[in-house]
Amino acid sequence: MGRIFLAPSLTFMALIALFPVFYAIGMSLYNIRGFHRDFVGVDNYVDALTDPSFWNAAKNTLIFTVASVSLEFVIGMAFALIMHQAFVGRGLTRAVILVPWVIPTAVAAQVWRYMFDHNPGFVNAVLGTEINWLRDPAWAMVGIISADVWKTAPFVALLLLAGLQTIPRDYYEAAKMDGAGVVQRFWSVTLPLLRPAIVVALLFRTVDALRMFDFAYVFAGYSNSLATLSVYAQRFLVAEPQLGYANALSTVTFVIVMLVGLAFISRMGRQMVGDVGRKEKR
Amino acid sequence: MSVLPWHRRHAGRASGAALAALALTLMTACGEPPGEESDAEGESAGLADDPQFVWAVTGADRQIHEDVARLWNENNPEQQVEVFFLAPTADEQRQAMFQDLQSQAGEFDVLGLDVIWTGEFADFGYIESLEDMRGEIEGVSLPGAIDSAQWQQELYALPYSSNGAFLYYRTDLIDEPPTTWDELYETGMEAAEEEGIAPFVGQGDQYEGFVVTYLEMFWSAGGELFDDAQENSTFLEGDAAQTALDFMVEGQENGFFAEGFDSMVEDDARALFQSGEAVYMRNWPYAIPLLEGEEGEESEVAGNFDVAPLPTFTGEGTTSALGGLNNAVSSLSENKDLAREFVLWAATDAEAQDILAGHSLPPTMLSAYDDADDPNFEMLGEILAEADARPPVPGYNSLSLVIQDNLHPAFLGQQDPESALEAVDNAANDALEQD
Repeated sequence: MGRIFLAPSLTFMALIALFPVFYAIGMSLYNIRGFHRDFVGVDNYVDALTDPSFWNAAKNTLIFTVASVSLEFVIGMAFALIMHQAFVGRGLTRAVILVPWVIPTAVAAQVWRYMFDHNPGFVNAVLGTEINWLRDPAWAMVGIISADVWKTAPFVALLLLAGLQTIPRDYYEAAKMDGAGVVQRFWSVTLPLLRPAIVVALLFRTVDALRMFDFAYVFAGYSNSLATLSVYAQRFLVAEPQLGYANALSTVTFVIVMLVGLAFISRMGRQMVGDVGRKEKR
Repeated sequence: MSVLPWHRRHAGRASGAALAALALTLMTACGEPPGEESDAEGESAGLADDPQFVWAVTGADRQIHEDVARLWNENNPEQQVEVFFLAPTADEQRQAMFQDLQSQAGEFDVLGLDVIWTGEFADFGYIESLEDMRGEIEGVSLPGAIDSAQWQQELYALPYSSNGAFLYYRTDLIDEPPTTWDELYETGMEAAEEEGIAPFVGQGDQYEGFVVTYLEMFWSAGGELFDDAQENSTFLEGDAAQTALDFMVEGQENGFFAEGFDSMVEDDARALFQSGEAVYMRNWPYAIPLLEGEEGEESEVAGNFDVAPLPTFTGEGTTSALGGLNNAVSSLSENKDLAREFVLWAATDAEAQDILAGHSLPPTMLSAYDDADDPNFEMLGEILAEADARPPVPGYNSLSLVIQDNLHPAFLGQQDPESALEAVDNAANDALEQD
């Protein structure tokens, strides 16, 4: 009986989620140039894994992900702790802090690009530097990481704040009674109890950062200097149309993102995610 | 003069791209043809009650293409054309046409192709050979435009519109426009130092515009990308590639290019020149009315600038990269005869080509430049007659991306020039390959 009721949603899921995935994997086995289509098996995957530009894109993606997620976590945590204190205007602060996150990424990327640009931009003037922010690859990476941190640290803060609010005050009072200082209370009470929220925040951010497209594309187009895995796949979908190769690249990206996601859940959070599940049932 | 397509194409390129990427992902997943509600970009003009075929063309300079279609419909009431306006950006146009063809939808009969796409569309089997119509356009259309419409000596499209570069210079600072790049460099540096402004602005961002900037110097040093049969790269033959790159690297080191040149597109350059911040500018003709302060534009240089052909390294002649559109017949068209007739008409009908000229979109018909009363327009005709087509080989876009990825860092001193030029030579050979 249950299965019958589940059938429509399962079919729906299969159609909208699974079909495109398998269709893309199927296409990745062909060499497609316009109306010419040859079956080439796993050649596209071999090409991808031996393509220096692909590894360059993987490296860019990794640097971006590690740097932006760590910074977002630290800053987000600081925001969350501040917002968790009771003070006048807390509700307003929470709303305001979300503003960067609400702005569409492509728009935010344009704004940041203009800030860094030599002519209308003002970043060098403010910092008193002479940095080529857009066309020096290392500094451009710093630029897109800053932009992403600005945009998504508030989101991390909100997730962590929600976690903080589920921690009962009793624990802090008990810890205080036992003579634990502020720092010790943070390490021994807040962090362990916040773990489910932290795992969720890190998981979301990491998976998101691994797929990042907008900032890299707006700052540097298809240039290898900033290209992430998504930008590199898009390059072969649109700029140099080789649909088979583009689908192989997308599939590799998909697998990487999925593996990282699974690793997160199994290594750091299975127990915690399970806990959350059980709590919700109660 | 109206704003030309080149300018608009780049103005909105980045913001739309991310959305387009999303839309593309969705559309490829569902296999929906453009023209359905899923494609927010494109739109039919609604010009015909009973259209017999569809012309897909850029949404930039809408009015011009609409007027051309109206003229056809007046002359051929039984065989009316409907215009389908694509997005104004080049990448999105190509994407929309690819989707129409790759998904076998075949909604479009006539395709308005950017001059660099001919080889790619031909190689993909997307467009019909028009070789038998060569006789009709030879001696009638700009030779560069015909070059841009053929791949491996076979004609796949017919010329429709064109575009070429001017050297803008400040008449209050420079008496005679330079005929060599070295002269331009010296006079520019000198005047710039006196005035405290930049010697040269133009298209220096890492995009197709940079490729054009480089290729113009490369051609003007006597270089050719491919041999006549389009079978081998001749990029490194002679010293043109080296000369052009050396000039740019040296210029960058010595402050010949304005600060921020490396992230400058058409309109950034125009804005700087217009505010009197530069001695020279390489740009398309669209900037003239803006610099003259027409239509309420504020211009510091109104009355103090003029245009000339771009210089060369030898002082002989001029060169310009050729822009514009060619019309091709979709291989999925169910009305190929009519589509061919229309393509030929758009290339060779004096009245149709005059519509372009009337809106200051450079036409491809030679005769349109003959009786021009505007000296700039006449000069444009002369420039276009000598202009070089970027070779429309199947892998042109890949080649362009490799040029951007190697020569741009080399220009900025971030990469070894030698290896950068070699990478371009390899990419040029790859661009000829057909799998």
